[in-house]
Amino acid sequence: MSAARTALATLAVAALALAAFAGVTRGFAAVTSDGVRRADIEQAPRALPDLALVDGAGRGLQLSDYAAPNAPITFVTLQYLRCQTVCLTSASGQSWLQSEIRARGLAGQMRLLTLSFDPANDTPAVLAAHARRLDADPALWRFATVADPAQLARMLSLFGVVVLPDGLGGYAHNAALFVIDGQGRLAQAYDVDRPDLALATQLRTP
Amino acid sequence: MTPGTRRTLIACAPALAIAALAPAHPWLEHTMARHMGLELPALFLLGCALPRCSGAARSPRFAAWNTHGLPGLLAALCTTGFWMLPAALDQAVLHGGMALAKVASLVAAGAWAAASWPRAGTVLQAFFVLNGFWMMLAAGLLYQEAPLQLCAVYLADQQPAAGRALVLWAVAGLAAWLAHLALVSRVFAQDDDDTSAAAATP
Repeated sequence: MSAARTALATLAVAALALAAFAGVTRGFAAVTSDGVRRADIEQAPRALPDLALVDGAGRGLQLSDYAAPNAPITFVTLQYLRCQTVCLTSASGQSWLQSEIRARGLAGQMRLLTLSFDPANDTPAVLAAHARRLDADPALWRFATVADPAQLARMLSLFGVVVLPDGLGGYAHNAALFVIDGQGRLAQAYDVDRPDLALATQLRTP
Repeated sequence: MTPGTRRTLIACAPALAIAALAPAHPWLEHTMARHMGLELPALFLLGCALPRCSGAARSPRFAAWNTHGLPGLLAALCTTGFWMLPAALDQAVLHGGMALAKVASLVAAGAWAAASWPRAGTVLQAFFVLNGFWMMLAAGLLYQEAPLQLCAVYLADQQPAAGRALVLWAVAGLAAWLAHLALVSRVFAQDDDDTSAAAATP
């Protein structure tokens, strides 16, 4: 009797543990939050909401403008421009994508967007200066931040980016190279050092 | 103090200590090393004290469901392993519900482990101790070597310290178990049955 009950209890524990591990790792697909976000976005692409942005030229735009029907694919990163660590990798990835898009004649099909989560420092003038330094083609690569800092949390939660002050005046944050697909949905996330993978996947998609 | 009051106080002591940890949790969770190396083990160890302090350790109530302590030790192993996942640790910092689940499950894991340990034989104990601390050691080494930021809420430069804390706990745990084997189970003092049988044969 007690052997059967113990077997039952052991099976119940094993089943619960399996469910808990599978839940938090999205079916054993990821152990880090970035990996979990990647799996979540791929499984359920996210619609782009109306979120007021302002770009390097001081023009207003909506994030949902990038969801227009038959719009080009957009590679997006979230950064703050004073960042000296992972944002440099994000920026060099996007630079590489810009040169590839030009070289392959894909300008009508793909474009780039850099979103800053530091609107207090990254004003339109700072965004424009940064774009010039990176030799960004304004027709291909836009730099923008939230028009209303109160909307920052909405933007971060849409992309699943966690930003924490690092105690040295900067921020600690996770990063990814996001893809807004041809249907205007936030559809994929790649590691920031794999723009090649992001581009190859888009080229393979019919 | 009457013996009754004393018993009540002892029974409540682990719960009071857990409650005392609550105001310290922002400090404890501020770095990855404190979170994994101090808070999580403290919750587990306070849970371990729970059955003995409350007198539930001798209760036969769930004995039929926990022969040799197998489900209890398995639950403790799975729970501690779960909270070593970076994604789970993030959730515990970012979501109140997961934070509560973390505290409850780790205290429960400690209580299950302590209540089930005496029921398990040396072989079963060895299985869980070696698996548990080996997993912790491997996780600690991986955390120190990981080239990427593992958690959304902790910087990559905090990972080596958290990894070292895990390695330290794993080594301490294995050393404590060896001491337990030598001093309590006295396995090193016993002759192997086969060799003593062979020696008895003329």
